[in-house]
Amino acid sequence: MECTILIGGQAGQGLASIERELAALLFRLGYFFFATKFYMSRIRGGHNDHLFRIAERPVHALSGESWDVLASLDEETQRRCKADLSARGLCLSPAEIAEIEKRAKDGFSNVVMSNPLLVGVLLRIIGVRSDALEAAAREEDQPAALLAGMALAEEWDMADRFVLQPRAESPYTFDGNSAIGFGSLLGGCQFMAAYPMTPATSLMLYVAKAALELPVHFEQAEDEIAAINMALGASYAGLRSMVATSGGGFALMTEAVSLAGMTETPIVIVIAQRPGPSTGLPTRTEQGDLNVVLSAGHGEFPRLVYAPGSLQEAVDLAKRSFEMADRYQIPVFILTDQYLADSIQLLEGSPELSVALRQYEIFDASYRRYALTPDGLSPLTYPGLGEALVRVDSDEHTEAGKITEDLDLRVRMVDKRLRKASRMDKDAVLPTLYGDRDADICLISWGSNREIVEEAADRLTSEGHPVAALHFSQVYPLVPAMLEGVSLAGKRLIAIENNATGQFAGLLKRELSLEINDMILKYNGLCFSVRELCDEVAARFFVPGGVK
Amino acid sequence: MNDHGEIAWCPGCGNFAIRDALEGALAELAIPPREIVLTSGIGQAAKMPQYLAGNYFNGLHGRALPVAVGVKLARPELTVIVVSGDGCNYGEGGNHFLHSLRRNLDLTVLTCNNQVYGLTKGQSSPTTDLGRMNMFDPRGNENEPLNPLALAIVLGAPFVARGFAGEKEHLKGLLKEAIQFRGTAVVDILQPCVSFNKVNTYAYYRQRVYRLDASGKDRREALEIAEIQGDRIPVGVFLKDESRSPRETAGRLFRKSVTPGDMENLLQKWHGAA
Repeated sequence: MECTILIGGQAGQGLASIERELAALLFRLGYFFFATKFYMSRIRGGHNDHLFRIAERPVHALSGESWDVLASLDEETQRRCKADLSARGLCLSPAEIAEIEKRAKDGFSNVVMSNPLLVGVLLRIIGVRSDALEAAAREEDQPAALLAGMALAEEWDMADRFVLQPRAESPYTFDGNSAIGFGSLLGGCQFMAAYPMTPATSLMLYVAKAALELPVHFEQAEDEIAAINMALGASYAGLRSMVATSGGGFALMTEAVSLAGMTETPIVIVIAQRPGPSTGLPTRTEQGDLNVVLSAGHGEFPRLVYAPGSLQEAVDLAKRSFEMADRYQIPVFILTDQYLADSIQLLEGSPELSVALRQYEIFDASYRRYALTPDGLSPLTYPGLGEALVRVDSDEHTEAGKITEDLDLRVRMVDKRLRKASRMDKDAVLPTLYGDRDADICLISWGSNREIVEEAADRLTSEGHPVAALHFSQVYPLVPAMLEGVSLAGKRLIAIENNATGQFAGLLKRELSLEINDMILKYNGLCFSVRELCDEVAARFFVPGGVK
Repeated sequence: MNDHGEIAWCPGCGNFAIRDALEGALAELAIPPREIVLTSGIGQAAKMPQYLAGNYFNGLHGRALPVAVGVKLARPELTVIVVSGDGCNYGEGGNHFLHSLRRNLDLTVLTCNNQVYGLTKGQSSPTTDLGRMNMFDPRGNENEPLNPLALAIVLGAPFVARGFAGEKEHLKGLLKEAIQFRGTAVVDILQPCVSFNKVNTYAYYRQRVYRLDASGKDRREALEIAEIQGDRIPVGVFLKDESRSPRETAGRLFRKSVTPGDMENLLQKWHGAA
């Protein structure tokens, strides 16, 4: 049993508040839910959809089924979405929304109270009772208005139309950007410099808020170039440091990515992808920046790229990024997208709260920042500790960090930097195989598509179309060990990506000689839904009775 | 100074005197090299940290300032000095110059200003005079030169000074004052380029440079001094405003850490149902 709700209207109509209040109350009432949004790059007007899927079991994707409840704050929502209403579906039309606003003004002398009123109506539709609500609501939730909304649902004969039991015992809720922020703090991040850019901005806000009470510094930079150079300065000086941006902002950072590679300064770079090229669709989702991240920064140097596919992976890989950046003295990338960044989900299980710390080794005056070593890793320390002078240079440099044009030394330094990569194999995060291992078809995904694909694999299999799913959360480097034990031989491999060219499929071929047979690509700026993906796979790769 | 290896500047370059003055200033202030961080960009002046005792981060062209901002925010106890050329600090890094001054961290920002791009062999820089013939300006530079001191004053930099590489002792005194100043101290240093600037030579400056008796009383007066150009070129402290406190993060970050208890609090407060 599930209930899907679409709340649509114009920017400025209170949709963000409604989403926040509904999500908070569903969470505190103990419902399993997943929420995401399709919104426009505007402050007012336009058209935004906030989508909720409420269930009696964990859900981490849009189902793609018809809407059970449609709340149309404007005529546009009504016009566009009414056809997608399920057979038993309920529609709150603009007329009913107007009535809610009237009740807010009459009963509470405040039109803003129409937000909790609407939330009250919606909660009553899924069977929430006033006693449960009173126990869960806080003063700031406006319990009186919520209760008035519940009464209104009864008056309109909408109460208990989609009764769901609250079965979640998940103690925590996050959106994707918060999960990255939380994981970064666990990873010992103490410095972030940033220039705002959708859809990364809420991650900046997360760190900025944490910095108010923790030993962490947040600096708003004048541009992305300054942001990454500040972060490199702070990292050089001794703090684990990060930046976050989206594709366009990252384009400005790329020279400093190369600087991080040359100076071997650890840094974590989060890129919340949105559709390009250029400004593209600023508030929509895409996985179009993998190739740019793989090649960003002139010259040759090692890098590591993670692409989390769930909240848990977002927390774990953000934490791990800081460890790996320090261990290998390299730039580490976390690739997310608007879909993961903005979706609100429950975190099943409790995160491990140990905080990873930087080591501060002390050296004497003989210290050389770029000492040549068998594994390419030179001891890392920071200015002002002991007698060591820490001298780093963007020019090719000697072991002591001085500019050199000794071409033999140049070769030794290139080899040293690249040698670090050979050790990274042992720290590779292996892909996750899911579903029917014996199936003839395997869906290959990376990043935010993980849970959509896994639910689709379950549903396809249960509908007589058995498939397996393989998800990569480390997308670079790709190492042979990743394919050991997942026996893909003989399977038809289908890449699922939110881009137009199958960038990851290309990378699998280049790096692992893995031939992808087919691709399902979506690049209209929206995420896949489970139903959409199932239908596509079933139609293209199955015939009645078996695989095509 | 020979322990720094071969120096990559042309014989007679103004950078030698600037280096000596900075080395002398740091020595007289008795700041141990381990507590000094020099940041620089790209260009001949940006090589200066290579020839001084201290930590350094020799980064990208134009980006010496944001690196210094990051270092200073992370480690306010360190003495952080930016030293680069006019192309680096005022041209490629112009946006950082604007906004770093607004921050008023306790930084020293030195610009070796030779009014020309030397390492790329003689193009106009942001401070090249009108009409000057350079590689890309065969008909003469058509762009108004930037006045870095007036700009710094308008942006609210609390310490603004000009030195001259040809007056090493005076420059050393200025640098000591700048480094000791609490807040962002901007020092533009007139630096003859013996290879690519045949106009603004040692002799040119010696005929025009004079020492200021006193700094401006306020920004308005300092701005008037900064507007003096042409046949008379003032050197010295234009503005010294000790009334403003620099931004501070002292003792808050380095070797402090977020604890599991902090994370538990954050988890419950921001992500929990309690």
